Amino acid sequence: MSGEEEVPRELSDLNRSLRGIRFEPRSSLGPELRGRVRRGERAKGAVTSRRVRPALWGVAAALVASAALLGTPHLPADVRVDRCCYDLDGGGEADDGVLVVAGRDEQVRRLSIYEDRDGSAGYSLGDLVRFERGAEPMIDVPLGLDLETYQFCCLDYDGGGFDDDGLLVVGRPPDRVVMAAIYETHRTEASAPLPRFPLR
Amino acid sequence: MSRSFHQPSLSAPGAPSPDVAAEELCRGWYEAHGVAVYNYFRFHVPLQDVAEDLTAETFLKLVRAADQFDSAKGSARVWILTIARNVLGDWHRRARLRQYVSLGAMHDLVCQAPSPEERLLREEEVGRLLDAVATLGAADRELIGLRYGSELDTAEMAHALGISEGSVRTRLWRALGRLRGVLAR
Repeated sequence: MSGEEEVPRELSDLNRSLRGIRFEPRSSLGPELRGRVRRGERAKGAVTSRRVRPALWGVAAALVASAALLGTPHLPADVRVDRCCYDLDGGGEADDGVLVVAGRDEQVRRLSIYEDRDGSAGYSLGDLVRFERGAEPMIDVPLGLDLETYQFCCLDYDGGGFDDDGLLVVGRPPDRVVMAAIYETHRTEASAPLPRFPLR
Repeated sequence: MSRSFHQPSLSAPGAPSPDVAAEELCRGWYEAHGVAVYNYFRFHVPLQDVAEDLTAETFLKLVRAADQFDSAKGSARVWILTIARNVLGDWHRRARLRQYVSLGAMHDLVCQAPSPEERLLREEEVGRLLDAVATLGAADRELIGLRYGSELDTAEMAHALGISEGSVRTRLWRALGRLRGVLAR
């Protein structure tokens, strides 16, 4: 960036303070992004402007009416979401991924934490599965010392189409995962004093 | 998995497959400009997670729009920041439907403080500055985000905003003057 000399004298302190602010994205963001590109993931795209919404509501109503006449359109019951790479086992390397099979935006049916051994930024044969569970959150070790929790929010972990899910992992460093669950952040009760996120 | 990656230059005979080429393109752009894009967002949004998501969204869009980049029209960084600005605009529209709770920690702040106490003080100082920036108007925030977040110089800012370099300086100093006023309250 050019030009400290351009700055008026009375603003130079503020200019210096602002220039001193730097943030560093987590190191796993690059590999995760490459994995998303490799899988052909699309950006979510622009939000529809308010002006065209009435027209779209009309189209939507027509589609619903057509669907009622023709039968319910078939959507896959389960979606598979693969997110990589984080440090989920306390090993110090952002080389772990989470693989979720869920009813779209609904209950998690299967959840696996794996170590991305081949660096593919996604689950593949040869990756080491650190933890696997079915439909219910569970913990596979007696609660005790040395457990650490890891939390990542918010991405689309359940295929619902919105980045409104969190991932909670309990592990025993450096390589043990004992619990993993997904939670939906927008489904809080308005009257609750603190946000409560049911684990799925 | 179906793919519809549109970049004719990547599908020439002998070229790597679109998936691999797109991934390499993304890697190169992210390594060169990822931190600038992330910092641009961090000057606009209070949460690390949101800034990460917006950064990822920007690069996913970039890869799909790669064939639209024309180096004769400006630098890659200005083009990427233009897309980042659009992504931020979309987020502001979507954000009205969501609630974000800041946990107050800036784990992503680059800080050389030798002790946790000094780091905390630094985080509070930066938080106070960014909170003050957040009270400014959208145009002022945009100028500050481009200059101090993404570290564009005056000429690049002029290109990105479609105004003259003189206007960039004038508007930026006015924005900083208003920011100084907010901080003095």
